[in-house]
Amino acid sequence: MLSLDAIHTYYGLSHILQGVSLQLGAGEVLGLFGRNGVGKSTLIKTIAGWVVPTQGSMTFNGVSIAGLTPDRICRQGIGLVPEDRRIFPGLSVEENLRLGLMQAPHRSRAAAQHALDQTFSRFPRLAERRHQMGTTLSGGEQQMLAIARVLVGTPRLLLIDEPTEGLAPMIVDEIFQLIASLRAEGVSILLVEQNVMRAMPVCDRIVALERGTVVFEGQAQSASDRERLVAAIAV
Amino acid sequence: MHGGACMNELLESLQFIYGPQIANGLAIGMAVVLMALGLTIIFGLLDVINMSHGEFYALGAYLAVTLAGQGVNFWFCLVLVPLLMAAIGYFTERTLIQRVFHSKDRHILTLLLTFGLAIITEDLFKLGYGPNPYKPESPIPGASELFGIMLPNYRVFLIVAGSCIIVAVWMLVYRTRLGAMVRAAAWDKHMAASLGVPVERVYAGTFAFGVALAGLSGVLLAPIYSVFPTMGKDFILMAFTVVIVGGMGSIKGAVIAGLLLTQVQSISSLFISPVWSEPLVFGIMVLFLIVRPQGLAGRLGHG
Repeated sequence: MLSLDAIHTYYGLSHILQGVSLQLGAGEVLGLFGRNGVGKSTLIKTIAGWVVPTQGSMTFNGVSIAGLTPDRICRQGIGLVPEDRRIFPGLSVEENLRLGLMQAPHRSRAAAQHALDQTFSRFPRLAERRHQMGTTLSGGEQQMLAIARVLVGTPRLLLIDEPTEGLAPMIVDEIFQLIASLRAEGVSILLVEQNVMRAMPVCDRIVALERGTVVFEGQAQSASDRERLVAAIAV
Repeated sequence: MHGGACMNELLESLQFIYGPQIANGLAIGMAVVLMALGLTIIFGLLDVINMSHGEFYALGAYLAVTLAGQGVNFWFCLVLVPLLMAAIGYFTERTLIQRVFHSKDRHILTLLLTFGLAIITEDLFKLGYGPNPYKPESPIPGASELFGIMLPNYRVFLIVAGSCIIVAVWMLVYRTRLGAMVRAAAWDKHMAASLGVPVERVYAGTFAFGVALAGLSGVLLAPIYSVFPTMGKDFILMAFTVVIVGGMGSIKGAVIAGLLLTQVQSISSLFISPVWSEPLVFGIMVLFLIVRPQGLAGRLGHG
């Protein structure tokens, strides 16, 4: 479904991604792990089109997406839940959600409304607060909104960057339950998460990134692979 | 008895001196607000200070004069000119602004680019129409009495139409999905794009909208101020003052500051020489820059 081949990305003069190759199949949840500053977020931003790779190829369902603008990439069916959630201030919860409908702009009005209703029934707390400003929600609710905002567009692949960062343990449980249920529904997910032990059970495959390259790839269900991944990302 | 005389005197001065002055200030204020709205929306979303906004205003007025010369009715111009101006604005954004928009020196480059565009456009007016002013006829001649105040009909129309347009702009920005897209892109263009908002087209569309508003105020004010090549330059200073006092990028601020400053200008001219009313208004701007540089209200999409 998503295929990256020898991707190189620079931030100014810093060579962040140094030839990353990885594959993500339909319905698969891929966990991407690594220490701070190894390029996990840059990889997500590269796939989303926020930074353009200088070398390498990137295809999604056979279509080359390297060099496309973020809105084009999004309309290919790739949804982004970014680090820090990035809820729009001055926009209500509902306005934030409705923007997510832009991922599939050619849908009929009824289909869009259906997607919106479904999302509200999945996230009842957002429904209660639909007229509240998005940034007045709690951290956990904002994270739910960031995920819900992408789900209304029914993406084929979700990029989720550090979803539990700075959240209370109870909310962290909820987020992992949500990811597990999305996985059960067959949504493909690329998940970046610091909390390796919590994240691995919701993954199918696990990848370790170190200094801008993939240093380990394994199966999340295999105990030995999990140990090797932890060893690979430890100093 | 004495109190009654005082009251009468006050009412009379309200009716004959302040009333007309306030109403005239309100009419001009509407056009200033429309100008400032375009300027402030363009700044709030694109972070571009459009130095050619005054010339777009003048272009709107010249288009109206030209179309009127071809026998086109004023009311039809009022619709047609903003549409033409929107097309010109869209084209300007896509072909000129976009070229320097992604540069590191965006502020300087877009400022110089639009400044150059302003100089060229002004000279084109001189070449095409000569330096003499055109004075279009008032589309609604005559005057009526409102609350005991005699007012030219056209100014009454300006106040009503201006209020409607301001409300419509506010509704568009704050009550529609298109407006939500604009506000989202103003706040965080990367995130907006990643939700599928076609940011580049939103930019061009917003620029076009701002330019159309400038053109519209050009058409509306032409019968009052007459049309001449440097009309944009004279008017843009006031619009910039309004945007600065209102808060760069704020719609609410532009409306409040626009109406307030035009009132200051028009009421103060009762007491001091009109020569001093402009320094007074610009003095207020300087004061704001020193005491409250963020202006009356925050930026577009920034709460």
